[in-house]
Amino acid sequence: MEEEEEEARALLAGGPDQPRSGAPAASGAPSALCDPGRLAHRLVVLLLMCLLGFGSYFCYDNPAALQSQVQRDMKVNTTKFMLLYAWYSWPNVVLCFLGGFLIDRVFGIRWGAIIFTCFVCVGQVIFALGGIFNAFWLMELGRFVFGIGGESLAVAQNTYAVSWFKGKELNLVFGLQLSMARIGSTVNMNLMGWLYSKIEASLGSAGPTTLGVTLLLGGMTCILSLCCAFALAYLDQRAERILHKDQGKTGEVIKLTDIKDFSLPLWLIFIICVCYYVVVFPFIGLGKVFFIEKFGFSSQTASAVNSVVYVISAPMSPLFGLLVDKTGKNIIWVLCAVTTTLVSHMMLAFTAWNPWIAMCLLGLAYSLLACALWPMVAFLVPEHQLGTAYGFMQSIQNLGLAIISIIAGMILDTRGYLFLEVFFIGCVSLALLSVVLLYLVNHARGGNLNYSTRQREEMKLSHTE
Amino acid sequence: MCSCGEPRRGWRRCTPSPMLLLSLLLSTAPFGFLGEETRQVSLEVPGWPDSPQNLLHIQAVGTNSTLHYVWSTLGPPAVVLVATNTSHSVLHINWTRLLSPEPEGGLTVLPMESVQFSSALIFTRLLEFDGVSEATAKPPGKPYPSYSLAEFSWNNITNSLHPDTLSATFQGHPKDDPTGAFANGSLAFRVQAFARSGRPARPPRLLHTADTCQLEVTLVGASPRGNRSLFGIEVATLGRGPDCGRIQEQHSIDDEYAPAVFQLDQLLLGSVPSGFVQWRPVAFSQEQAGRASALSCQASPLHPTLAHSLPQSPVVQAFFGLQQNYCTFSLTFGASTGPGYWDQRYLSWSMLLGVGPPPVDALSPLILGIMAVALGTPGLVLLGGGLVLLLRRKHSSEYQSIN
Repeated sequence: MEEEEEEARALLAGGPDQPRSGAPAASGAPSALCDPGRLAHRLVVLLLMCLLGFGSYFCYDNPAALQSQVQRDMKVNTTKFMLLYAWYSWPNVVLCFLGGFLIDRVFGIRWGAIIFTCFVCVGQVIFALGGIFNAFWLMELGRFVFGIGGESLAVAQNTYAVSWFKGKELNLVFGLQLSMARIGSTVNMNLMGWLYSKIEASLGSAGPTTLGVTLLLGGMTCILSLCCAFALAYLDQRAERILHKDQGKTGEVIKLTDIKDFSLPLWLIFIICVCYYVVVFPFIGLGKVFFIEKFGFSSQTASAVNSVVYVISAPMSPLFGLLVDKTGKNIIWVLCAVTTTLVSHMMLAFTAWNPWIAMCLLGLAYSLLACALWPMVAFLVPEHQLGTAYGFMQSIQNLGLAIISIIAGMILDTRGYLFLEVFFIGCVSLALLSVVLLYLVNHARGGNLNYSTRQREEMKLSHTE
Repeated sequence: MCSCGEPRRGWRRCTPSPMLLLSLLLSTAPFGFLGEETRQVSLEVPGWPDSPQNLLHIQAVGTNSTLHYVWSTLGPPAVVLVATNTSHSVLHINWTRLLSPEPEGGLTVLPMESVQFSSALIFTRLLEFDGVSEATAKPPGKPYPSYSLAEFSWNNITNSLHPDTLSATFQGHPKDDPTGAFANGSLAFRVQAFARSGRPARPPRLLHTADTCQLEVTLVGASPRGNRSLFGIEVATLGRGPDCGRIQEQHSIDDEYAPAVFQLDQLLLGSVPSGFVQWRPVAFSQEQAGRASALSCQASPLHPTLAHSLPQSPVVQAFFGLQQNYCTFSLTFGASTGPGYWDQRYLSWSMLLGVGPPPVDALSPLILGIMAVALGTPGLVLLGGGLVLLLRRKHSSEYQSIN
């Protein structure tokens, strides 16, 4: 009690960002860090929030970074290999609707983040044990458990962000969280292959045990995330005590009956979302061996090329976000992104040009699409249905990823890489068709999806008059 | 799909070229030597009931050319390939000469002036390497003593002759087998001729024409001498001119028919009109050949060899006379990690042998169709929808003038 009173008095005495007059800098710094209202403390919390998702994103793409090793050591074909991705997506078809509910009503944000991070850790450990015991079904189970935690952890991360940061800072925070996630993916791509070869050298032979040990070591990042979850829970509880702020909530209300109210443009956006992401993530999952076999790259270079999409996405997502915010005209940007992806896949399929170019284009297109597509949902759907719309979008995105991952593996085993790329081109073309239809429908109905920012502000002003 | 000029040492990238467009147009059926699309193919095992039944004569007759393939396991497995410019040429075998120690002149194609091209290929040795050698050793590893294919005893091929599929199989094992390595094993050479162009269902699905025949080499059941032995085969061709030329590695974007194999290797035997040997650098370690059992195939460069260091083939000597200069290369299958012969004690590799320009793969109609729909539909919808909107706007603007 006394401790709390002291802290509260200290809070009232100093302003939010004013240095204490007369107090030496040494004593000022720790108290700024410990003061939940001050920027320094919130930066610490921001760092923890970013690291919270690091482990999950690092481990998500472990199979892609170790594709040849997994296929060789566990003796599986590509179809079974892609099941590692499919099993991650299956639980999220349902959990996308439940994430908000679980955080708001059942666990609370603090325990929710801890529980989801535990799922991530346990899932990765089971995945690694599947390697050590040479049981592929155990690996699939591990990915399933990992998937239960992974996507819901992202919801928890976002909820923490909204709770601690408001207004203009929030976009920056979301951007930083996304960038950190992408850094995690990039580090995974470039590190795991090297780590495997080091373990192989020290254990003396390749095999399922080597694979399992490598995955366990990679899982240490999940332990880091778990520590961050605990730290955040403690700091959040402390801030609630000191600042008397409420525990963060997602505020999402999911009503599945709202789905019948979705308009045609919204369904077209859903189709674009599904068809687009299935040509990015499964492709990256299979990309490393593609670059080794078609372009003759070494394992290290192939991993680096494969990670280019994430490397580019980290800095470009905030920049493109700014661009789309300033100019509006979302449909045109989506059209640009989808066309660029089509060009990129055609380059990879029909030419032997340096794949760095195609992958850079893919990275730019992927970042642009994310910034232009998701906000359009908010233009089409009233606020009380937004949670359902986003939840549904993510649910079918995961469903599409799960199904197409398996189909991609099957195509690769029977028909080869050219046919796989042509299949992806077909999916992008479907997305392109949907964008074209969206533009036409929007134009015909006089909709506001493609308004420039100025037009949108004029509309807002005319509504308030 | 690529136009590769002179082959360079090691791996090289190709870019698509006008050949891509041309091959798209020719994607229905490639033309064979002298434009022959189909041939009348007949297989015979010449000789009399007591003769060694291990000589196969394949005669592929076209409208104004004939191809003779003489496959034989008298000595090491070998093939003599002769192309003539008439549909009436015949193969003449002098058995006494052929089976004597000096077989020169035992094999002739008459009329001799009609012979446009002739060449030979001999499979001299079965090689074996120790795959688990130290990293410092050069791949494929330390060699075990090789099996000379001249010291094999071969089966009677009349039993394995299938006129319906135009194929025959030579199967053999070493005459002297002290270690019993081939007690339950054999090395088989399956020869198949074709009457028209097509593509077999079995990987690596090499595109063949009427001017080619296919050879599938299969090693089954032989006991390897190490835990992870890599097998290989040594091939010799007749030396022509001062240097032996190179194996051309053609890289392409198309791996539809051999998943994850983007390369086609070929060796030209002689100058125009020339024969060729074509293969995909892949072998399979399971009878259900597929991507999971694909082994990489490394080809050594061609090096000139003198006749005395190679097992001699009576058939080649019978047709070409005593030859001093040969060019040999060896193919090794597999690597020390991944699938290998040790999985199921099975190894199979295929090649094409033929005359004229080697067949060129083209994109399948399915892919072309998907691309046409994928690229065309959004464009058409945009055009169509745009037109509709324009017309609607013109229509509605007429109404706005009314108060």
